[in-house]
Amino acid sequence: MAIQWSLVLFTAIAGAGAWLFACVGASEFKTFGTKAVWPSSIVALVLLIIGGFASLSHLSHPERVFGALGHPTSGIFTEALLLGLTALCVIVYMVLLKRETGEKARKVLAVVGIILAVVFMFACGSSYMMASRATWNSIALPLGYLGTAAASGCSLYLLMCAIVKDDGAMGFAGLASTGAGAAATVLSLVFGCTSGAAFGSDAPVFWVVVVVCGGLVPAVCGWLARKGGDKTLAYAAIACAGGLAGSIAFRAVMWMVGTAVMNCFGITL
Amino acid sequence: MTKHNCIVVNLDKCLGCYGCEVACKMENDVALGEHWSKVILRGPLGEYPNMVKYPLPTMCQQCENSPCVHVCPTGASYRDPDTGIVLIDKEKCIGCKYCMMACPYGVRDWNVATKTVEKCTLCGHLTAQGELPACVKSCAGGARFYGDLDDPDSDVSKELAKYAASDIHTLPDVGNAPATKYIMTSIHGAWKEGE
Repeated sequence: MAIQWSLVLFTAIAGAGAWLFACVGASEFKTFGTKAVWPSSIVALVLLIIGGFASLSHLSHPERVFGALGHPTSGIFTEALLLGLTALCVIVYMVLLKRETGEKARKVLAVVGIILAVVFMFACGSSYMMASRATWNSIALPLGYLGTAAASGCSLYLLMCAIVKDDGAMGFAGLASTGAGAAATVLSLVFGCTSGAAFGSDAPVFWVVVVVCGGLVPAVCGWLARKGGDKTLAYAAIACAGGLAGSIAFRAVMWMVGTAVMNCFGITL
Repeated sequence: MTKHNCIVVNLDKCLGCYGCEVACKMENDVALGEHWSKVILRGPLGEYPNMVKYPLPTMCQQCENSPCVHVCPTGASYRDPDTGIVLIDKEKCIGCKYCMMACPYGVRDWNVATKTVEKCTLCGHLTAQGELPACVKSCAGGARFYGDLDDPDSDVSKELAKYAASDIHTLPDVGNAPATKYIMTSIHGAWKEGE
């Protein structure tokens, strides 16, 4: 099946943004440095917006998209709603942050942001759970979406901390990247084994890009970067590049293994 | 009361002439390279000497639990309340192709010109006037039938009534309950879909 790149990029980019903000939210409950909070929030918002446009670019008639408002149970509506809520959450958080007010409200938004990051990515993956495509019709798919988005977002947060030299936050960011990378590794492997992606002709892409780059690299580099030092920026950059590549590759592999029960017309989409 | 209109194909009578496919294209102005109906040559299947080969005319299976309708975000894919036929309102289609992903059989196609999804309508413009769908009218072997499955006097019900349940088949059902039936007796071959 042909890879739908606009849909791949939508959830990969927006997922990284949502999880970047989740890391920002988690930092609300710590007493370490906060230099990375503002720039990370900006980057998260930009990624959510770019992801939204990537999603729209998949549609041949985006001018009719408001028709989805009448069918709130569809996957597209749910994804759009969660994307909008996440972006709104980031914007309100940034306003409060800029005005240096509403400390309790910021904590509430932080919790909401973390929950949305989880629910949003799970919902994006679950939209593809269809009986017509046995390889997709498993809980392993949304969990894989969740894990790989977490790895890309957390490693991006690590990179943001390294760029602005937020030394106080490096420990948390490194551990977050390590934890999310480990989760991405496990969850990707579960999807790879249940869908067959780990064994078929697409196995090299799955093992090298999804598992190694998307899971192990953010995990290992996050661990190495957690204590700071001269190579922190390099480790963070490698972790982020790996996390994003793995997240994109996971979604691409999903399309590569997504065969229908029958393909009578020989359509590749 | 909603009808269950569908096509029944008697593969014992099907010549594999592609007449239904051509008639569909002519009637519905389906562009070159696009399909609403397509005959697939299945086989040879099985192991020598018990091998089978048969033409399999395919089109929208008019699923009773149609996944295309469930996933459509705008209601462009819908079931007509009067005829029970699954249709597409192209004015509402946003081109997300989720219905194409959700269709178990890949019998929805992409209209390059209108940038919307299309599929077999069971020639609703003809049947509304009491005519038969173009593929049924043109079938040289008299293998295609159209009508309401719930009406015992319909062409589909009368044809199905001639055969044992073991000779009546559907494409693989993954919970979508395809309404379209295929008749194939052991005299002419063995049904291999879903194996």
